[in-house]
Amino acid sequence: MTAVATPVSGTGIGLRQPHYREVFERLPALAFLEVHSENFFLDGGASLHALERARAAYPISLHGVGLSLGSADRLADDHLAKLKRLVERVEPALVSEHLCWGAIGGSHFNDLLPLPHTGATLALLADRIDRVQSALKRRILVENLSAYVEFRDSEMTETAFLAELARRTGCGLLLDINNLYVNAINFGFDPVARLAELQGDAIGQIHLAGHAVVDDCLIDTHGSLVCDPVWLLYEEACRRFGAKPTLIEWDTDLPALDVLLSQAAQASVIASRFDEVAHA
Amino acid sequence: MPELLDIQAGFAAALRDRDRTPATQAWLSGDGALIDRRMAIYRANMVASAEKALVAAYPVISQVVGDEFFHGLAREYQRRTPSTSGDLSTFGESFGQFLAKFEHTQSLPYLPDLARLEWAAHRAYGAADATDFDAAALAVVDDEQQAAIRFQWSPGLAVVGSRYPIVRIWTIHQPGHAGEFSVDWDRAEIALVARDGLAVSIADCGAGDAAFLEASLDGAPLGDAAATALQLHPDFDLGALLGRAFAARLVCGFTL
Repeated sequence: MTAVATPVSGTGIGLRQPHYREVFERLPALAFLEVHSENFFLDGGASLHALERARAAYPISLHGVGLSLGSADRLADDHLAKLKRLVERVEPALVSEHLCWGAIGGSHFNDLLPLPHTGATLALLADRIDRVQSALKRRILVENLSAYVEFRDSEMTETAFLAELARRTGCGLLLDINNLYVNAINFGFDPVARLAELQGDAIGQIHLAGHAVVDDCLIDTHGSLVCDPVWLLYEEACRRFGAKPTLIEWDTDLPALDVLLSQAAQASVIASRFDEVAHA
Repeated sequence: MPELLDIQAGFAAALRDRDRTPATQAWLSGDGALIDRRMAIYRANMVASAEKALVAAYPVISQVVGDEFFHGLAREYQRRTPSTSGDLSTFGESFGQFLAKFEHTQSLPYLPDLARLEWAAHRAYGAADATDFDAAALAVVDDEQQAAIRFQWSPGLAVVGSRYPIVRIWTIHQPGHAGEFSVDWDRAEIALVARDGLAVSIADCGAGDAAFLEASLDGAPLGDAAATALQLHPDFDLGALLGRAFAARLVCGFTL
């Protein structure tokens, strides 16, 4: 399965409504912009108009938060149809979803809930991703999750699960370095060792974001600066996999655009020390 | 290990009801206290997602009642009417019905109608862009066929009537509102919700115009819609209304 859109390289930011005007006026030097797909599941109007304006100036990454690939009972065909319509309209450079579930029995929690990493879950996810990729007629990227609970009976790590999912389905991976770090702290594992379970050529994009610290737990809020350990882990990922398209993701307590641009510049400086092709 | 379906059903039950959390210990790592703390994070996320979607759809109501009270409304509405879609722009359609019944909003009886107005505006915001229509195209219709014209109205167009001054309440809560904030609480108002380019416009609508538009939006032909409006409101002026509707590009086409 080949992607029809031009692949991107370099650093981008998440485009959020309070920054629309400034981004369109300044057109900052960014490799791409990412938006949440579901915010544009509309028939027309100002939001879609803004997205089309962004699309005219930048490659777009459509990042889904509501498809719920891992729901045991069903894949939401109506949701997939809306995503397909948006993909056809925007012709994005990248389309991504999460390794999660969010709905069961007709109720949707509108959250990214964790899955047990078992052979049975792998078979379900592989089937779902096949269906999504054939409906969209393109490769999608699947992102590792921030989680606050984990399953006793998981048979493999999340990274090993994703590596196998990519091998089975041809999907790419969206490696969220902050999520990996959040889970490393929440569940007590070595995140560098987890990187070693991934194949660099499957990784199509990297996410960087901030998190909050609450009691004994890191919470993935996308509401603060990327922290130092996440920058170090990003550097390690670049060393291991080569430079990958990288996104600064910020959703809550949105700061001035310049803060995001400065974070993006910091990522570019790190990535520039590594080739785009993985080192042996 | 139980089936994934059972795990997800148990997880969902624990999110909705904290008392169901202990059952998840059978398949989640950690002791009961840890799982309880961690599941509380997901429970808070669930409410936060619902609240964010409701604030986006109901910005005026959230201002009227204040953030703290609105948070409580969102929590209770989400509990009674869980989201059914990964597309949160569809969440909250029945918020007005909830506000009409909820015991703690009875002192603000205009809220349900204000909610219907805001939902109509929310729908209009994302409605399809209107297609251009040249009123001169109506010239081809013979005189005896005119009563059979069925107008195609611009997507998102809606009429919301109330016993309360909902247009005024909506207007004084807009971010750019300049001027005074007085409200004549005895005034019943009908709102005409329409797209104006990419913006959403809310305007005070006369009762005759509203009766005509409601009938026409329901699919009634021009003659029947006008007769309905005239019967209820003898001062209804069809020509004036159509002139304004064409000028505001509310008509996108017609069928016979």
